[in-house]
Amino acid sequence: MASQYGLKYAVHIITSHFGNLVAKVCECLLRKGPLTLHNLIRFTELTPLQVKNSLLVLIQHNCVQAFIEESGVGDGAKLNTQYIALFNNIIHRSRFSKFLAIVSKELGEECLKLFEGLLQHGRLTLAQIVDRAISSTKGSDIAPGAIRETFLKLLGSHFVERCPAPEPVLSPPNQELPSSAKRGSKSAKLQKIETETLEQRVSEEAAPSEAMRFLLTTDAESNVDGGKDENDSSSSLVGEKRKYDALELDKEGEATNERVILWRANFEEFIRRLRHKACIEHVRHLGNGAVIVLSAMLEATRSAENKVKIDASAPLSLNSIYEEVIKNDAGRNMTFDRVRSSLIELGCPPLVKAFNDSYIIDFKAIIDLAQNDEVESIVLKRYGQEAYKMFRALSQAGHLLETDKIAEQTFYEKKDTPKVLYKLWKEEYLHMEKLQITGARQSQLLLWKVNKKNLWEHVLDEMFHAALNLSLRLAHELEKEKELLNPPQSRDRIIRVRLVLESAQIKLDDAIMLFHDF
Amino acid sequence: MSQLKRKRPDSNSVADSLTEHERVVYDAIRSKQEMGISQRDLKREINLLDKLASKSLKSLQDKNLVRLVPNFQSKGMKHYIAAEFNPSTEITGGAWYTDGSLDSDFIGVLKATCLKFVPNLKVATLEGFVEAVKKSRVSQVELSKKQIEELVESLVCDNELMKVKSTGIGEFASIPVGKVCYKRIDKGNRVSGTMASIPCGVCPQISICTPDGIVSPKTCVYYNTWLDF
Repeated sequence: MASQYGLKYAVHIITSHFGNLVAKVCECLLRKGPLTLHNLIRFTELTPLQVKNSLLVLIQHNCVQAFIEESGVGDGAKLNTQYIALFNNIIHRSRFSKFLAIVSKELGEECLKLFEGLLQHGRLTLAQIVDRAISSTKGSDIAPGAIRETFLKLLGSHFVERCPAPEPVLSPPNQELPSSAKRGSKSAKLQKIETETLEQRVSEEAAPSEAMRFLLTTDAESNVDGGKDENDSSSSLVGEKRKYDALELDKEGEATNERVILWRANFEEFIRRLRHKACIEHVRHLGNGAVIVLSAMLEATRSAENKVKIDASAPLSLNSIYEEVIKNDAGRNMTFDRVRSSLIELGCPPLVKAFNDSYIIDFKAIIDLAQNDEVESIVLKRYGQEAYKMFRALSQAGHLLETDKIAEQTFYEKKDTPKVLYKLWKEEYLHMEKLQITGARQSQLLLWKVNKKNLWEHVLDEMFHAALNLSLRLAHELEKEKELLNPPQSRDRIIRVRLVLESAQIKLDDAIMLFHDF
Repeated sequence: MSQLKRKRPDSNSVADSLTEHERVVYDAIRSKQEMGISQRDLKREINLLDKLASKSLKSLQDKNLVRLVPNFQSKGMKHYIAAEFNPSTEITGGAWYTDGSLDSDFIGVLKATCLKFVPNLKVATLEGFVEAVKKSRVSQVELSKKQIEELVESLVCDNELMKVKSTGIGEFASIPVGKVCYKRIDKGNRVSGTMASIPCGVCPQISICTPDGIVSPKTCVYYNTWLDF
């Protein structure tokens, strides 16, 4: 379950993209977890038609997934279709501009146009994509074959994927937990864990198999292909030049498939690329060499990644790293020795680990460092230099430390130390425990600790809060601008305000991804 | 040489000149040796009337038998020690304290000396720092290895140094593998935090800020300053 402000931000995004009605349905699903249509109507107090249409919009835009939960016991209600909001996909809507920039940079203008259409419409069949492209070019001669080829490029880069199954059947979860643990005080917590995994479970169950996910061609095609495409033994040669004359022969079979199979943007691939980009940004202070080497390693191992949050990359030998480095212009200036010394630099602290003559990118270490930096910079700016030092001392210790010990470590006056720590504790940046000592003289010791798990959640919630605030302020500024009869200087102002707020939104979203998606 | 030594009170002559109460107070302080005792603990221990205890203490001080020393733990509290002992570092706070107060200037100079020893992105061992401080002659007293380690560790907290283990290659070539080293952090190239660069990231009121509340992004004063073009 997402945090309080995570939910508010998600609802805000849906409200601004699809209006209040759809947002109401979405909010209900986000807050209450999966619901049947019947319950959704009951809770939202909207008419069945309104709820149904809202759901259709949300499903079309990949923000809601339907599923059927198969229950072991004969419980009739559970066999009904349930709807679950996909929180991550909703938040991804605020990063469409980043996805578009990636497509544009990597595949160019043509692909960008097709992809833009997919983002606008949520899901489309290939036939719809082709029709859209033809109608948008107005008159200029563009062959459907060329559009398909462009689409294949998108597919080849995994920017586009087949839509998930409309209504997967979910088998009951493995009951590994002892039944007694489900009762009592722990039940609420357990339920939370369950819903968290439910969103993932539903998504996994609905996802097409890896083999099908990026596969365009169909049985019909491979049957008729024979003549011209005979060299292409595999029918899934995505990204490769294909001879589309064959399609002429195959119009009918292909056409049916083109009208049935739905495609959508593959957010996972974009998040992976943004994660890689964040890793590169984080080693930039080590110099150009480190950046080039790490980029090359990421490029070479990307295809082996099967999910976004992997801890380490596939191993690469020095030779294969060098081979990858010299593939691009910047890398061609690098000698073998320079690559080796950049790898040494990346190994201290161990962001890239060497073992058995090969190298692995330690994603977890890089992301952890970046997260620490982000939180520490908040502490520094909000609570000052002394608090920053104390926070770092505690964060690095990783366990409880006594007040005096912290003062000694940071060279701060002992009597003033509790004040600084207390301020951090009050705003949930530190965890505190009191220790009563009974002896000749009774005294109380205060022990402090950085509880990363809780703090990271707290910081992420504050980030969602900040993102919501930026968005609300921007809307407010634009609204204010409309109301006034504007002198030209106010128009200048709004342009600058917009620029500042929007670039802050983009940057803040990077930080949100760092804590939520990476 | 013997003339230069502080004249030690002769315990025999002392015994004669002390009143009964002074003797109780003196013994209690003396028994604590270099740790000394605070006035509060002393009064609890000897169980004398407040007035009598204070009077005895004063006369003992006049006779140069006990003296007041600053206690860095609690500067407001009077701490007594028998004149023949030097206060323990647990009372004075050690090298970092002068008259019970943290000597920030001295620490600052030492820290700067350590940092000068490792330019950007270079590494050094603890022994290296010890040597560098010694050579710089910044400190009049000789600092122990442990004290230098305290200094260097605090530079880690300051985010000036990073603790790493030697890999034995590259810049670590002269350092045995696995030995703890300190690497200088190059701050020039680092991007500062994203959250900290917007008003909400540093806002003290964020916990009471709501879309339509008294504190709200629409009316926020921090935003107003930020967007004041």
